[in-house]
Amino acid sequence: MSRARVLAPLLFAFAASAASQTSPDETASAVQRLARELSASVRALPAEAPVALYFSGGSAELRRAVGSVLAARLSAEGLAPTVVDAASAEAAEGVARAQGARTLVRLTLDVEAGALRARGDALGTWVNFWSGRAPTRPARPSGALVESVDADAEVLALASVAPSTTSPPTSGPRGIRLLGATLVRLEQPVAALAAGDLDGDGRDEIAVLTEADVSVFAADGRLLARRELGALPFGNATTREPFGALAVLSGPPRLAAWSTRRAHGEVLVLEKGRSTLRPVGTLDSAPLGPVERGSFVPGQTAFQAEVRLADGKPVTLSAPFTTASLAPPRMLFVHADGTGSLYPRAGAAPTRLSALGAGSALGDLDGDGTPELLTTSTLLQPSPDVLRVHSLNGGDPTVHEPLWQGALPAGRALFVVTANLDGDERREVVVGLWKPDGTGELFLLRQGAP
Amino acid sequence: MKSRRIALASLVLLGSASALAAGRPRYGGELRVAHAGPPEIGEPALADTPLEATLLGLLSRPVCAVTPEGEARPTLARELSRPTPQSARVMLPNAATAGALARAWMRLSSTEGASPYRALLYPLRGEGRQVNASGASLELALSFPWPDLERALCHPALAAPVASSTPGPFSSAGRGTLDAQLGWPRGRPYLDRLLLTSTDERGLARLWSTRQAQLELGVASETDNASGALLYATYLAFSPRRVPADFRQAVESSIDREDLTRLFVRGPAVPMPHLLPPALMQQGPKPRPATPASGPARTVTLVYDAALEDQRAVAERIQVKLHERGYTVALEPLTRSALRARWAKGDFELMLHALLLPPVPGPALAVVLDAGGRKDLLGVELPAIGALSDAAARDARVRERALALAASLPLLPLYAQGLGLRVVPEVGGLVMDAQGLPMLDGAFMLPPEGAGTGGRP
Repeated sequence: MSRARVLAPLLFAFAASAASQTSPDETASAVQRLARELSASVRALPAEAPVALYFSGGSAELRRAVGSVLAARLSAEGLAPTVVDAASAEAAEGVARAQGARTLVRLTLDVEAGALRARGDALGTWVNFWSGRAPTRPARPSGALVESVDADAEVLALASVAPSTTSPPTSGPRGIRLLGATLVRLEQPVAALAAGDLDGDGRDEIAVLTEADVSVFAADGRLLARRELGALPFGNATTREPFGALAVLSGPPRLAAWSTRRAHGEVLVLEKGRSTLRPVGTLDSAPLGPVERGSFVPGQTAFQAEVRLADGKPVTLSAPFTTASLAPPRMLFVHADGTGSLYPRAGAAPTRLSALGAGSALGDLDGDGTPELLTTSTLLQPSPDVLRVHSLNGGDPTVHEPLWQGALPAGRALFVVTANLDGDERREVVVGLWKPDGTGELFLLRQGAP
Repeated sequence: MKSRRIALASLVLLGSASALAAGRPRYGGELRVAHAGPPEIGEPALADTPLEATLLGLLSRPVCAVTPEGEARPTLARELSRPTPQSARVMLPNAATAGALARAWMRLSSTEGASPYRALLYPLRGEGRQVNASGASLELALSFPWPDLERALCHPALAAPVASSTPGPFSSAGRGTLDAQLGWPRGRPYLDRLLLTSTDERGLARLWSTRQAQLELGVASETDNASGALLYATYLAFSPRRVPADFRQAVESSIDREDLTRLFVRGPAVPMPHLLPPALMQQGPKPRPATPASGPARTVTLVYDAALEDQRAVAERIQVKLHERGYTVALEPLTRSALRARWAKGDFELMLHALLLPPVPGPALAVVLDAGGRKDLLGVELPAIGALSDAAARDARVRERALALAASLPLLPLYAQGLGLRVVPEVGGLVMDAQGLPMLDGAFMLPPEGAGTGGRP
């Protein structure tokens, strides 16, 4: 299945949600917002119609999307835009002139650090008759254009569409270049994060636990269902910070959620049609994976060292842990001191890892069949926090250069999961952030165009 | 000196970082705390100096705390809610705690335990004289709209007396040792243990210089020490029937508040020319009145808190300054409970009256009015203030009324103080609450430099 076909439903969903927007300023997509900013800048030059638009950078889909939306806006302004294709920015000048444009806008698009940016210039294409063959430029219009807006999941979906020239998959690891955007903003900080297919459509949903509730979001950040935890009895040994365990259970899709504020957890079923999470049972052990179970260290943001594995056998780790990530047969446990225990399979001796952050996970980001190790900063107060992706090639991967690393938005990244949001073989990354203002955020990263 | 600066930087930096909900600190460790307060803390309504309120708060907390954003966040309470606009519900961990709290609140209005902090409960039906626990919850009915009720309930004087049935962040393990309490509703403190040492100012200096203390509370103000909001307000209360009509003028013309805070009062302290401290209302200039015409010689007695060295120094200063105005001032130190009893009976001529005011103007004004013997004004002023639903408008109204009422209250505001502290750089997460008190349950030991934390304990 081609990547473009895989993403088509996702893009359709974005388009549908964009069409239903009523307040452009508050709910407009990042592409719409960028186009609005660019349109205002072009109009302020002032540009002379007709205006030619040339785009470089980003993926072809992102260039086309921004080009289409910007052209529509400029058209509404009476600037008679055309989108030109050329081998380079320099060549675009001649193409625009040949098409009769009087203004050329050249923009380079990129998605970086959670922002969709456009940078470039605008110039007049009219050549004075008395200049002869020399392509002199007029005094105006001219100007530099730099605009940036917060990226969203739609931008990531567009930017991650691989160009048609991409070579077919090979057996070796493919390059990793992650582009990120805010997926969901939460009123409360994240207590636990999980991803899994809860509606049986072959793609994962994202589940978030906070002190107050558990929520399930679709790949485009839409809230599918939410359940308040207020009805559950309070726990006797809660934690100062929001903390808990969240996992998508195997068998019939169910979500297991337990906040340390509460005396016990719940097993929930997503009823998508009714937008509810229906409780179907209670939990008396902390869900670490589809069938793996653990228990909280009372009053602390950690799990006891004893874990019950999928086969029902117990395993005792070297110390309590704060984070568990399971990518069968591999298992990763991160301890309080920033070390980790990586089990290649149940029963095998673990590899001792170092320099791991609380936000650590295993996940196949490049689609080669072997998970990578993702981890955040080991520091207590990183500014900014950083996500690193390491190859699992035996030994401690963190002592080698990461395959990729990038800064995350402001806040502390305490939770990282990987998810299959679009049905392809490369998993996306969802980071749970504690924001400086005491709120939470889900930050989505997916493979970008090379 | 350098290490002190680092300590302060660490406090401020980590304080803000923690408020930002950043990384997760490490659990465990002991913290050696030295303080200049009494070794034992009495009932909450009397433990109202910033230092004593801090020490009390280790073992017993009120139902909530006011966040830096000005919201009431449950601490001892599981939940605070408003089933209806005119009623509030406080859900506590158990029925015993609810009962103990109800009794403690009612005691504030009783004859034997009367306290100006009863004004915090004045908006309740029956003025808070009758508070009933229903299982583990307290149902509080308001007699008029009072949106600031929850924030008023966060005052340290409304904590329950220390008892096994009312959990606090720490519990006493004997001989100055406090252990982290696993069942504390907001989550156990990060530190396993606090080791408290009660000493005097010289002892604090010695313990600090020999690195035997990692945190010191109640240290005098220095540029490199930290402090929270200055809400411990001291007034000179007088009995209008027992002093001449121009007594206020005599004091205002003779007392220089700047002098008091600079020379006689241990910092952190600021002059307080108006009814509420600078932390709650901007202090405009207040010109000193002319010296009143000299009258016949008068002898008056000034009672003050014997446990507070600052009050003794200020009382002596007032004695000297009023002598110039023809007053012979006899000084009488009293225990705090005796002082409050004399206040409740109105049995004094002059009294130095110190109050830990809540960080919210409305409830603060209520306490000041009651302390000034004008409880009658509560029923007039508070409903009008509470009728304003916008918090900023309410606060503005309170400030207007504080200015307007100042001349009618037999209280002369003198100065406001806070709690000074210093801490070693190895301690993180120590932040001041809106009341200006350090929250030791949020403190933790920082890992050695270069050691990984995993971002979590």
